[in-house]
Amino acid sequence: MAIRHEFFEKNAIFLLVGTLLTVAVGGIVEVIPLFTIETTVEKVQGVRPYSPLELRGRDIYVREGCYLCHSQQIRALRDEVERYGHYSLAAESMYDHPFQWGSKRIGPDLSRVGGKYSSEWHYAHMQNPQALVPESLMPKYAFLAETPLETGDIQARLRTNRMVGVPYTDDQITNASVDLFAQADPNGDPAALMKRYPKANLVAGDGRRVTELDAVVAYLQVLGTMVNFADTSTEKLQQ
Amino acid sequence: MSDITADAMPMMAHAPARVVVYNERIVKNAVIMAMFWGVVAFTVGVYLALELCWPAFNLGYSFTNFGRLRPVHTSAAIFAFGGTALIGTSFHVVQRTCRTRLFGGDALASFVFWGYQFFIVMAALSYVMGFSQSREYAEPEWYIDIWLTVVWVAYLIVFLGTLMMREEPHIYVANWFYLAFIVTVAMLHIGNNLAIPVSFFGAKSYSAFSGAQDALIQWWYGHNAVGFFLTAGFLGMMYYFIPKAANRPVYSYRLSIVHFWSLIFLYIWAGPHHLHWTALPDWAQTLGMAFSIMLWMPSWGGMINGLMTLSGAWDKLRTDPGLRFSVTAVGFYGMSTFEGPVMSIRDVNALAHYTDWVVGHVHSGALGWVAFISFGAIYYLVPVLWKRTGLFSNKLAAWHYWIATLGIVFYITSLWVAGIMQGLMWRAYDQYGFLQYSFVESVVAVHPYYVIRMVGGLLFLTGALIMVYNLIRTVNSPTTAPAAALRVGA
Amino acid sequence: MDTATSDFIIGTMVAVFGLVGLILAAGAVDNGIYVFGLSLLGFACLFNLGLIRAYYDRRDAARAHAHENEGSGHV
Repeated sequence: MAIRHEFFEKNAIFLLVGTLLTVAVGGIVEVIPLFTIETTVEKVQGVRPYSPLELRGRDIYVREGCYLCHSQQIRALRDEVERYGHYSLAAESMYDHPFQWGSKRIGPDLSRVGGKYSSEWHYAHMQNPQALVPESLMPKYAFLAETPLETGDIQARLRTNRMVGVPYTDDQITNASVDLFAQADPNGDPAALMKRYPKANLVAGDGRRVTELDAVVAYLQVLGTMVNFADTSTEKLQQ
Repeated sequence: MSDITADAMPMMAHAPARVVVYNERIVKNAVIMAMFWGVVAFTVGVYLALELCWPAFNLGYSFTNFGRLRPVHTSAAIFAFGGTALIGTSFHVVQRTCRTRLFGGDALASFVFWGYQFFIVMAALSYVMGFSQSREYAEPEWYIDIWLTVVWVAYLIVFLGTLMMREEPHIYVANWFYLAFIVTVAMLHIGNNLAIPVSFFGAKSYSAFSGAQDALIQWWYGHNAVGFFLTAGFLGMMYYFIPKAANRPVYSYRLSIVHFWSLIFLYIWAGPHHLHWTALPDWAQTLGMAFSIMLWMPSWGGMINGLMTLSGAWDKLRTDPGLRFSVTAVGFYGMSTFEGPVMSIRDVNALAHYTDWVVGHVHSGALGWVAFISFGAIYYLVPVLWKRTGLFSNKLAAWHYWIATLGIVFYITSLWVAGIMQGLMWRAYDQYGFLQYSFVESVVAVHPYYVIRMVGGLLFLTGALIMVYNLIRTVNSPTTAPAAALRVGA
Repeated sequence: MDTATSDFIIGTMVAVFGLVGLILAAGAVDNGIYVFGLSLLGFACLFNLGLIRAYYDRRDAARAHAHENEGSGHV
């Protein structure tokens, strides 16, 4: 054995190539089937791309590192399902670039937080969590309420998502800006928005000035609400 | 291996036929920066621990909040402290075990080193400014990723070039590990960071993958950042500095071959154990679990090879504080590589995942293995590089050792308790079959353990500050280099 | 690779990176790229100044060395 090993030990290039081949195997065997096996992502109804405002809220969620304390993945375990709701499906995060499953619960799971609390609760909680939950360890995010949302590049953001595989239609991209402001205008007419993005939640705002907090609340309120579980069955959810 | 160094050799009466002038300046710089980043990483860590004890420490500013500072801590620990130590020691080891100066000239080596420092500063700055890909341990956005790729390719050229120019027939075992670390991290870094920027003049990008696939790719990267950055690289360190400090050959050459190839082959598969019970398909989870358990063996192969190298030299542990760090590091390595496979078993993971047990496990590896093996290497290197007879004070180094060890014990035991308690509280049912605790009750319950963890971190930081003081005094003590002695005499 | 070639290749490469940094900073649409671009330019300037300094340090050292040898020759 020692003699044969000289092959690698006396030639740096062989050692390099040998190492690279050795480490490539595991990744290839695990990753590639995940893209080719069709049942990796379940066929369920209702999952849609994020509305422009939700997408911007998600960008802020990513930026602030919310995933470091909140998971978005309910495991298929009895207590988790009872605490947070139906276990998470791969389909529910299929438009998440990147995924936000997280790895630590310093705070509770958020995959089905949508609709659990009122938007007013979220506004108050985000700005001062301890006022609502005195024991909470969450930092205050009052600055989000004071920061106007950057909206100029919303079309580019949707287009980039389309490039990586999110099926935004031309219609959705053209109307990105309109939809964004419509969702932050509780007094406007949301019909067009709702047609393009069913189950979108209107948030506070006056339809002109949108804050980062508006976007975050719109995102939180849609989390886990897209799939109608009354409509599906265990067989359909087989991977 | 010759310890006669560059500047000394021309002055010697019986100089060997071929004079190798090593680039030691780059190694010195790396030692200094590694200590600097170590202190930064530990300080930010302690501050984050404070935030988790008392959230008022978040201060309410965007840039002081936990979510933005946490990547600063992890990047500072892994990439700044660990990475700088790895680059520095790999440059030291590869030159001496190949008996040749670094390939590509001083300029290329400097580019690798300072380019890497630039990467660290840019990454940390971008997190606090609010730019993050949200990929754990790969948070920098696309433009910083590209920069790191450039630096890393240069690093590979220097390292591989030096190996190819070597004056020794064999490539020494430490270099196999360093090479595996460099080339695999390159593969992982590129694969994991594939993304499309919204604009070439804007920082924001969207990952090329989504959902379950993205999760697997992230943990393929994430777990092998542990496997190749924090394990293979530091095993390279172990294979040079422990034999050097103990003045003994590596225990088993055959074992090093077997455990090298099996370690690098098996590690790559282990990523899915971060995704048990999730929406990742079961077959992938099972593969991840099976390979994680198999990984126990090559990991312990490394531990045995490191520890047994001391046979016949165990007495050195009493007199050489640097070696004591290295050997304890190998002990912690053995412990965390046993704990890891246990936690990767699905049913254990059901309890452990999402809890502080994982954080404790990571820190037994990061503090006990990575930091201790680096401390051992640096305690060895400083007198060698600066040509001093020894450390300024072995006693201070012993204090560092005990304070840091105590800190680790505080840290990991408190998080074992906290983590297992969280896991049990989340799944506890009362007599009527309802969930017994609300989430926030588990938050309240772990508070005392978070405080103990913070104290543990503080102890570890204190030890590192003692080390910095000791090293500064060592560098400022009189030199013993023959060159300098000659100059004084002349 | 000899020192002069290495200095030239790396120096040129870093200078190009500096220019890229300048372009990035000029076109930046957010602070992330702006800060990175300017910092990259600063890095490139400092790095290449370092190369220049190292060149003169080496030359001075070589001269001092030659001088020393001359001196010892007379002894």
